[in-house]
Amino acid sequence: MVVSPVHFIAVPLLAAFLIPLLAKVSKELVRIVPGLVIGYLSVVSVILMTQVVNTGQPIIEVIGGWSPPFGINLVFSAFTGFLVSLMTFMAFLIWIYSYRFKKIDDAPAQKYFILFMMLVTGSTGIVLTGDIFNLFVFMEITAIAAYSLTAFYRDRDGAEAAFKYLLIGSFASALMLLAIVLLYSQVGTLNMAEIAQRIHTVPQGMKITIFTLFVVGLGIEAEMFPLNGWAPDAYSQSPGPVGVAFAALVVKAGVYSLVRVVFTMFDIHGAYEFLIIMGAITMVIAEISALKQTNLKRMLAYSSIGQMGFVLIAFGIGTNAAVFGALFLMFNHAVIKGLLFMSGSYLVYNTPSKEIKDMAGIGKKLPMVSFFFALGALAIVGLPPFSGFWSKLYILMAAADASFYYLMGTILIVSIIEIVYYFRVMGRLYFGKPQNDVVLQKPTLGGIFAMGVLATVIIVIGIHPDFVTGFIQSAADTLLDKAGYINNVLQLTNL
Amino acid sequence: MNSLLLVILILLAGAVLSFLANRIMPILSGVMSFLSIGAAAVIFFVQVSAADSMAIPISGFSLHWGINAYSWLFGAMVLGLSVFVALYAIAFMKGKDRLGYFFFNFNLTIMAMMGIVFSTDWVSLFIFWEIMTWSSFLIIIYAGISEGRVGTKYMIFSAIGGYAMFMAILVSNSLLGSFQIADLVSGFGTLSLGNQALIGILFMVAFGVKSAVMPLHVWAPRAYADSPMAFTAIFSGLLSKMGIFGMGILMISVFAQGTIGQTFIFSNILAWLGAVTSVIATFYALIQKDAKRLLAYSSIAQLGYIIVGLAIGTPLSIMAALFLAVVHAIFKGTLFMVVGAVERQAGTTNMEELGALIRKMPWTFMAALFSIIALAGVPPLGGFVGKWMLYESLITSGFGANYFLVIMVFLSSTAAFLYSYRFLFGLFLGQEEPEFDHVKEAPAIMVVPMVVLALLLLVIGAFPGLLFEPIANAMAYMGVDVNWNMTVLSNVWGDEVHMEPLWTSILVMFVIGATFLTFKTRRNTRYVTTKDIHTSGEIPEAHENMTFSVNFYQPFERAIEPVMKRKMDTYYNRIGEGLESLFGFARKIYTGNGQTYAIYVIIFLSILILIGETIFNK
Repeated sequence: MVVSPVHFIAVPLLAAFLIPLLAKVSKELVRIVPGLVIGYLSVVSVILMTQVVNTGQPIIEVIGGWSPPFGINLVFSAFTGFLVSLMTFMAFLIWIYSYRFKKIDDAPAQKYFILFMMLVTGSTGIVLTGDIFNLFVFMEITAIAAYSLTAFYRDRDGAEAAFKYLLIGSFASALMLLAIVLLYSQVGTLNMAEIAQRIHTVPQGMKITIFTLFVVGLGIEAEMFPLNGWAPDAYSQSPGPVGVAFAALVVKAGVYSLVRVVFTMFDIHGAYEFLIIMGAITMVIAEISALKQTNLKRMLAYSSIGQMGFVLIAFGIGTNAAVFGALFLMFNHAVIKGLLFMSGSYLVYNTPSKEIKDMAGIGKKLPMVSFFFALGALAIVGLPPFSGFWSKLYILMAAADASFYYLMGTILIVSIIEIVYYFRVMGRLYFGKPQNDVVLQKPTLGGIFAMGVLATVIIVIGIHPDFVTGFIQSAADTLLDKAGYINNVLQLTNL
Repeated sequence: MNSLLLVILILLAGAVLSFLANRIMPILSGVMSFLSIGAAAVIFFVQVSAADSMAIPISGFSLHWGINAYSWLFGAMVLGLSVFVALYAIAFMKGKDRLGYFFFNFNLTIMAMMGIVFSTDWVSLFIFWEIMTWSSFLIIIYAGISEGRVGTKYMIFSAIGGYAMFMAILVSNSLLGSFQIADLVSGFGTLSLGNQALIGILFMVAFGVKSAVMPLHVWAPRAYADSPMAFTAIFSGLLSKMGIFGMGILMISVFAQGTIGQTFIFSNILAWLGAVTSVIATFYALIQKDAKRLLAYSSIAQLGYIIVGLAIGTPLSIMAALFLAVVHAIFKGTLFMVVGAVERQAGTTNMEELGALIRKMPWTFMAALFSIIALAGVPPLGGFVGKWMLYESLITSGFGANYFLVIMVFLSSTAAFLYSYRFLFGLFLGQEEPEFDHVKEAPAIMVVPMVVLALLLLVIGAFPGLLFEPIANAMAYMGVDVNWNMTVLSNVWGDEVHMEPLWTSILVMFVIGATFLTFKTRRNTRYVTTKDIHTSGEIPEAHENMTFSVNFYQPFERAIEPVMKRKMDTYYNRIGEGLESLFGFARKIYTGNGQTYAIYVIIFLSILILIGETIFNK
């Protein structure tokens, strides 16, 4: 079978456009086709990933025969491939989870699946592309899909959340575009490898201005403080599976682009320290806010922001071990937060007020869902023997080796806050006094299956982390190998 | 298969099986748990030898397990007591809710403790430490969410301790390049004084939390008292000993290598903390009305002695500490089982209501009596030997200030007599109340473990050498040579007092006396009621109360009132409230208003553009 990275963009985009037509043929196709598409993409990502790991060389796809730096190219390296595989895997589980989403009413379901396909296209596109303007385009695709999904439940809160997201998101777009224009005027290319090669010719002042614009623009997508005001509302007002998609796909793409800009395109050393400081502030403020939340989904949203802060810290430390830890944490966050959002949605679904205090005793009525939530809570705070522990261990090991003792102290104190609010919910779920008047919505078979898969991953990786460490290690090596990236992309021009 | 791995796997499998067994039949759950712990114990005592070790490679480093004389002592303690408690738990938990959940976590806690004991590197120790923490947390909240937020408090303190340990491990790894415990021991001396202090203090906080040293003890009383008693026996008897296990490693071997070990800081501050803990906790134990709370505070006090012993650091004091640790595990485990039995049979543990259970629960009383004698340190039971050695080691340690420690320990152990008596009186003696007429002896499956453990205390009291030998081996492994002959126990005045004949004669007298009394009274035993007494011609009515267990130690309570006024708990609560309101302020940053967020973006961008040069230009 001939597979290529371009399938990641072409196939879901095509599917998104075909869904309305398919709906005319059969209502069921609307639900089946996205699954087939994402399933196919998962297979492709596995094939390509094995190829990359075996040959040790990234796969570079040149679109339309225009070789870089003139045309657009897609880079499927160990690093991008790792993220894409993670995204397609999570997208597949989200599809299973939401297969029966809006079963009674097909029109919204159709919209949901179209937008979801676009979200997948955009997120994977951001990660795969080697062209900065192309990255911007994919970011817009993702953002538009994300705005619409946030406003999916056409109620007041959803609209408000979507509007906030749109408002802040348009800042991100504007700043990104400005940065790209300025950059193009300075280096005369949009290819990221070539930009990286020529960036040292840009005057320092200009370089820093462009970089600042990038950081603020991408910081919005990566949920960096104080640019993340949109996130709690977007997470809590969007439908359950969309929250998972935000945590597993959208934010990951945002962090990826920020990291790509800092690590590959620019050579500004102060940026690493900046990432650490901003990451730490993000984490502290977000976790403190999470502690004070009474709404479960908002709590999860703030916790998600906090985790992204932690990821930024790890990238900021910048050593190979720290980047390894950061990528591991991104993996864990996608899986664990996915599980928490999936199970949390059912808890919220069965609690009209969405307040944590009203979820008391639900553990007896929804044992599976509560178990998954408890498992996710144990894993996300980094308790062994679950997967979250290892990423925390590796990042802190890297921090200790770099002698960031105060930073370690901060991270650990914040972890205590995290433990408090997650365990509070857990205790309430299982041992609070139940309220009897609620009619329960049991999880669907697909929902149970998706959550079961995630739970298994958490436990298996927790007991035997070596299942993924190899991939993550080569991903980290690839990310840090800037010269290798430039060579690999640009050697195509010399052929 | 490696026997260490086998022990862990059996316990883990037991946890899973007992969870599943609950679906078939609730009682099977406890049986499963007991069988797995029993099997693990058999393997541990029969198969595990010092040669066993294994390594699990993980990307970047590897986890190492092994066993040595020191860890064997603690491992034997854990599995030895757990078997009895697990047997007891089958009957104790019968008829209760969510047995699968309880026994799953019960087994997991024991597995984690064995894992801690087996670990020879810090990462696997930490992994098991955290498993122990969350599995025990899940049991504490089993009783329900209480208004005192017991579980949360336990979890916060455990998290502080756990993360302090995590930090210490990571710092020492970055400085020494190894996670091995042995490498920390050998490399500790090469570190700078500041790093030694950092690592030392962090580890001490970590282990101090679990062993409930002041001021890290506030979680303990409620957590001990609110868990099901079948678990508290493990919780107070063994889980707290894991703190002692870690402290032992540090105090005995690690600090001995460092320059900081010889200075005043660690040994004496810790010894004083231990002594203060024991005095204050004893006072608190005295004023409790609930037998569970009394024992909970008593546990904290007893751990205080052990810490004093470890901190003084002479061979004799370490030996005393380890001896007390083992004996405490046995008698406190038994006492919590006793209270559990009383709770189950009589429905309450309030000492002001209960009374005169001696006739209804004679075997339970016997177990309680033996354990209390051991607790109070009265010869001839095990507790005496340990306390004697502790006093002696304090007096002979050659450091003047330690005499004050002797006074403190003596004060608390004298005061311990008071609560010991109150415990016995409140539950088992005094006037029979009609409302407790229905009370019967606990089922055999609960009585047997208690009685066996009580007899074990007698055996240890009679032949302390049985325990001295493994302890001496453990200490020899840790690099402290000790002569554990009883004869040298009291050579303060330069003479060798031969303790053995003295000891044997005390024991013989005790046994003869007990036998004599039993037989003498047996012949003309006449059962009387409480009211069958002479009262200067007045005949007491049936409803009149003749014995009092309310305000038992009122004058004493008044005397210690000034000490009790300041509770550590209130300070923590205030800090907690302060933080809460600070956090409440911080979260207002997220106003929920889109315009504010937009302003944040603009301000952030302007600041970066203004000062970007200074931030990024490095």
